[in-house]
This record gives sequence, structure tokens and C-alpha cells, in this order.
Amino acid sequence: MSGVTFQQVTKRFGDVVAVDQLTLDVLDGEFMVLLGPSGCGKSTALRMIAGLEEVSDGLLTIGDRVVNHVPPQDRDIAMVFQSYALYPHMTVARNIESPLVANKRARVDADERERRVKEAAATLGLEEYLGRKPGELSGGQRQRVALARAIVRRPEVFLMDEPLSNLDAKLRTQTRLELVELHRRLGTTFVYVTHDQVEAMTMADRIAVIADGRLQQVGAPQAVYERPANLFVAGFIGSPPMNTLRGVVSPGTPAAVTTPSGTVRVADRGTAADDTEVVAGIRPEDLSVVPPGGEGVVGRVENVELLGHERHLVVSCDGHVLVVRQDNGEPTPAVGETVTLAARPEHVHLFDPAGSGRLN
Amino acid sequence: MTDLPGAEAGAEDLVRAAPTAPLGPRSGDGRRRLRDALMAYLFLLPALVTFAVFAYYPLYRLFWYATHRQPRFRNRPPTYVGFSQLWDSLTSRDFAQGLLHSATFMLYTVPLGLVLGVVLAVAAHRRLRGIKVFQTIFSSTVATSVAVASVVFFTLVNPEVGYFRNVTWLSLNDPTSAMFAVSLSSVWQNLGLTFIVVLAALQAVPEELNEAALLDGFGPVRRFFRVTVPLISPALLFLAIVLVIHALQAYAQIEILTGGGPAGSTETLLYKIADPKNIRSLDLKAGLSIGLFVLTGLVAFVQYTLLSRRVHYGD
Ligand SMILES: Nc1ncnc2c1ncn2[C@@H]1O[C@H](COP(=O)(O)OP(=O)(O)OP(=O)(O)O)[C@@H](O)[C@H]1O
Ligand SMILES: [Mg+2]
Repeated sequence: MSGVTFQQVTKRFGDVVAVDQLTLDVLDGEFMVLLGPSGCGKSTALRMIAGLEEVSDGLLTIGDRVVNHVPPQDRDIAMVFQSYALYPHMTVARNIESPLVANKRARVDADERERRVKEAAATLGLEEYLGRKPGELSGGQRQRVALARAIVRRPEVFLMDEPLSNLDAKLRTQTRLELVELHRRLGTTFVYVTHDQVEAMTMADRIAVIADGRLQQVGAPQAVYERPANLFVAGFIGSPPMNTLRGVVSPGTPAAVTTPSGTVRVADRGTAADDTEVVAGIRPEDLSVVPPGGEGVVGRVENVELLGHERHLVVSCDGHVLVVRQDNGEPTPAVGETVTLAARPEHVHLFDPAGSGRLN
Repeated sequence: MTDLPGAEAGAEDLVRAAPTAPLGPRSGDGRRRLRDALMAYLFLLPALVTFAVFAYYPLYRLFWYATHRQPRFRNRPPTYVGFSQLWDSLTSRDFAQGLLHSATFMLYTVPLGLVLGVVLAVAAHRRLRGIKVFQTIFSSTVATSVAVASVVFFTLVNPEVGYFRNVTWLSLNDPTSAMFAVSLSSVWQNLGLTFIVVLAALQAVPEELNEAALLDGFGPVRRFFRVTVPLISPALLFLAIVLVIHALQAYAQIEILTGGGPAGSTETLLYKIADPKNIRSLDLKAGLSIGLFVLTGLVAFVQYTLLSRRVHYGD
């Protein structure tokens, strides 16, 4: 087992910089999720670990070995592709055993091979499908065959590129749990690519948020959620996304941000200086409706979304749209009503509007 | 005045009747089916006529000629002599020799053509440096007629002035090498087709499959034979059948390069049937044609059933 380290790794395709000076330490045995919007370079980063893309600049290490120039088959990694990439002309059993047949270092004798295929198939509940071809399986079953093919060789690192994106919602939830369980059982390093924050939040030990080829933040899911490092992460993680309001830091204590539609109290102003412009970020669950005339921002209710277990108020405040998460027990304002919203001061995030970095 | 309500009622009736009209009265059902059937045959007619004129009738005439003896004098009608004459044609020395030459021609052209086409397509697929030049040279025959290509090839192997006149294994004067020279010209002429079909098949193989095989640890050779070849096998089967049939039907290149010679060594079955010097009797040629017809069908059938078991047609 071993971790993966990126040191100032850059990948260029001609003029396009797909991965820009990525420095990231994936710990031994960790479930690391690379999260980011489409085209941000997360697949490219993963493919560099696999050796399917060459590193343009920087050092890539697996365990204590620099692998910049190590060919893919000698890296001791296994990868699950989004399309699964099963061999359509081979049976499930032959698909699963192929790494053991192919790789000189992983090659084992026939008995051992059969034992391991059986074991991998049993782990993923595939015993009854061993004789079938991939074309005769459902999407979920194919996905499990791809996983079985990956675990059968017992690699140092598992790489997965959006392996759940072709499954329906229910199967995705189930497979998510199975993957976490698999990781717990194997204790191997997982590097998992997704653009789905729910997958990232539920599965990861740590999340690396990437945008435009650059690393934005690394941390445990809860930590990233609670203290996003910049406006991008703040807006990307969380659903509905974090509300933002532009305003000016008012002098004096306790600290507050004055916006055109009212005042937002802040428990910790961090490095934000008096009278500077900031962006205040408030999660929907940290906003609440207070009696009229109280301190807060004033806006008009545009819509009330009923989700069954909770409600979302959509409130427009001087051009900004704020979303408020409400419990069913709270009184519902009517659409068109004017309401005052207050934020929990200890949960207000301040960002620099220019550099977008976090201030508090 | 009295007409008006009546006219109105008539118009209303029409409007009401209109939606039910397409369904028609019950008794019209059989008539409609008949009409549909007639319509279908009408659409089939052009194809049926073409087949009748160019396939079924000639086939019938073939059997007719094969079982009738042509009179010595033209003013007498041919006489029926039965299937023994057809049997004689099929056991004749001409048939055996033609068959042998056709088989040799096939053996020279099909495997070599397939392998060269695949090699070229793989090189093009991998974007090897300079491959464009070869691609152009080898595919040029796709847009050229067999006759033109054969004439071009002839300028190379012409025994008197050809560029390769001293290359003994390409000599058109030697019975052992003439067949190979003619085959080589055929290989070249079919290469464009093989190349294009294989390249298209290669491009349809998902890149991720190759990457998965690479990560699994298959080397380039095993990757090719274990992943690529099975996935392009439908194209290879198609080409194998087409090339075999091309080989059985080769004519122009033989006529232009050797005229069947030297000493009849390049007279394939089809060449003997075409018989440009008109030295064989009509009944013999009819018999040989039937032999070739059965053979072609048999080859296609065997290839299809044998190979299709090992061919992977996607999922
Ligand atoms: N082979 C290539 N040649 C040129 N540009 C490429 C190549 N592969 C990727 N890119 C570019 O690099 C950037 C990152 O691509 P990448 O596939 O890593 O994105 P991604 O984060 O995986 O997105 P998605 O979620 O859509 O899969 C994109 O702008 C893409 O256009
Ligand atoms: Mg991707």
C-alpha cells in the first residue's frame, strides 16, 4: 500500500493547461475524492496517476517511487473507467482475471487465479454471472465487474473516474455505500473522481476541490463545508448553494456587514478591515425569518418550495436571491410578503470580492 | 328555400361521416387486404424483374445449355442430352485445372491482402509518421478501374521493358511466377478497400478498452490480438468473404497481364468460362459456370458459419 503525491504537477495539451501546478498529498489508505466542475482537469489528474497521460511538469510519486516515467503496467494501480471498459468478447470470469493473466508482476498460477476470481466475484455478488458476456449484464452489474477486475490484482492504489455516473439514482446510492464498505475492508488508497458533491461528501475521507486545473481546497468533507477556502468552493459545495451578499464592513464591535438591504452580524471578522468591501456568505440553513423591524436583511418572498421534509424560501433582496432553509414547523410566509432575514453570526463567512479568498 | 335545409343536412352528414370513412364498411375488409397485397407486389416488381432478367433467367439458361448439346450445324436446334453432360463438364480436366488455379490465386491474394490491409490501417490509426504517403499510394486503386490499375502494373512487370523484368519471382513468362505476379496486382488493387474498412473498424474500438488493457498489463502484441482483433473481427470476416469472391471473379487483371498464359498457368475457373479466345464449347462453359456458382455459394456459406462463431458482433 502507498499514497500518491503530486508536487507542482502540470499537464499541458498544446496551449491548454488542464492541470496547473497541482500539489496534493493522498495519504496511504485514504479515500480521496477529486471534485470539480466539468472540464476542470480532474480526469486528467487521475489519468496521470494511471500513466495514461504524461506529466508535463513536476513530480508524481506513488509510494516512495517517482513514477513520471514509469509505464502504466508497472505502476501497480487499477482503474475503473466511467464506461467500465469491459472486454465485450470475454466472459465476466475472463474479464475479471485479465489483470492476473496479463501483468507479469501480478501473474499467478491457475489455481490461485481461479481462487482470486471467485473471491472477487463473491465480494461483489457476481458468482452467478461469471459465464456471461458483459453485453448480457445490466449497467450496475457491469459496474461491479469493472470493480471486481480492479480488486482482483490487489493494487497499491485504486483509481476511479466517475464510476457511478451511468447508474440510476437508487443504484448509485446503494453502490456508494458498497464502495465505502469496500474501501474499509481493503484499506487501500482510493482516488475517486466525480463532479457530484453528494458522492464526494458521503464517500470521501478528504475532498480535493479543483477548478480550472487548480486546486482550491483540500480537507475533510465537513471541514470543507464549514470553512470553504474561497468563493468558488463556497458556491460549489452545498445544495442549495451558499447565499452571497455584497456589503461593506462597518466599524466597531460587534462586527457587521452593511448591505443595501440591511445588516448582517458577523461573529468573527478575521482580517477584514473597516470600511472595506466584502462578500458575506451564508448557508441556507443559517438564515432565519425574524419578526419585522429586527436586525437583518429585508426582502420579498418570491417562492416557497415544499420538499416534504423541509421548505426553501426564495427571497429577493435588492437584486440578490437568497435561499432560506426552513423546518416544516416554522410559520410559512406567503409569496409576495416582505420578510426580515437574520443570519447566525458565528456562521457568516467573509470573502474578498477581488481575490475571492476567505477573510475570517 | 326548401333546398337550403337539405343542403345543410347533407354537409353535416359528410362532416360526421368523414372520421369513420377511413375505417371503411365491414364488407370492404377483404378487398382492402387484396389491394394492399397488390400494392406490395407492385413495389416488389422492379426488383423481381431485375432479378428475373439478370439472375433467374440466365441461371435457367445455364442449366439448359449445360444439358443440351450444340449441333454441329447452326440450322439445327440443340438436342437434350441430360445431366450426364453437366457431370462430364464438372469432372473435366478444365474444371479441375481451373479450380486449382483459382484456389492458388485465392491463397496468394486473400491472406496477403488482409494482412497488408490490417498493417496499413493499424499504422494509419496510430498516426505513424509518413503514413499519409503510403495511405495515398495504396488506396489510390479504390478510385481506379481494374483495367487501368492492371495496365499500370503491367508497365512494372512487362517482360520486355518493365521495371521489374529481371525480378524472376514476378516474371510473367514463367508459369510458376506468373500467377504470383497477377495475384500481387490483385492484392494491390484490393488494398484500398481493405485498408478503409479496417481503419473504420479500428476507429470504432473505444479508446478506453485499449487503455484498460494497457493498465491490465497486456503488451502491445497481446493487446492487438486479444482486444483489437476480436473487436474488428466482423470487418475482417466481411473482408475475407469479399476478397475470396473477388478472387473467384478476377478477370481483367488476368486478361491484361497474361491472357491466361503462359501455358494456361493463370487460367482460373472464371477465365476459362469467360474464354476470350472462344476455344471451349458452350455446354462445357455452362457446366463450369454452374460449378463456380455452387462453389461461390459454398465458400460464402462455410466462411460465414465457421467464422461467425468466432466473430464478436458487439453487445
Ligand atoms: N487529449 C486532450 N487534448 C487536448 N485537451 C484535452 C485533452 N484531454 C483533456 N483536455 C482538456 O483538458 C481540460 C481538462 O479535461 P478533463 O478531461 O481532465 O476534465 P474533467 O474535469 O475530467 O471533466 P469531466 O467532468 O467533463 O470529465 C479540458 O479543458 C479538456 O478540454
Ligand atoms: Mg472526466
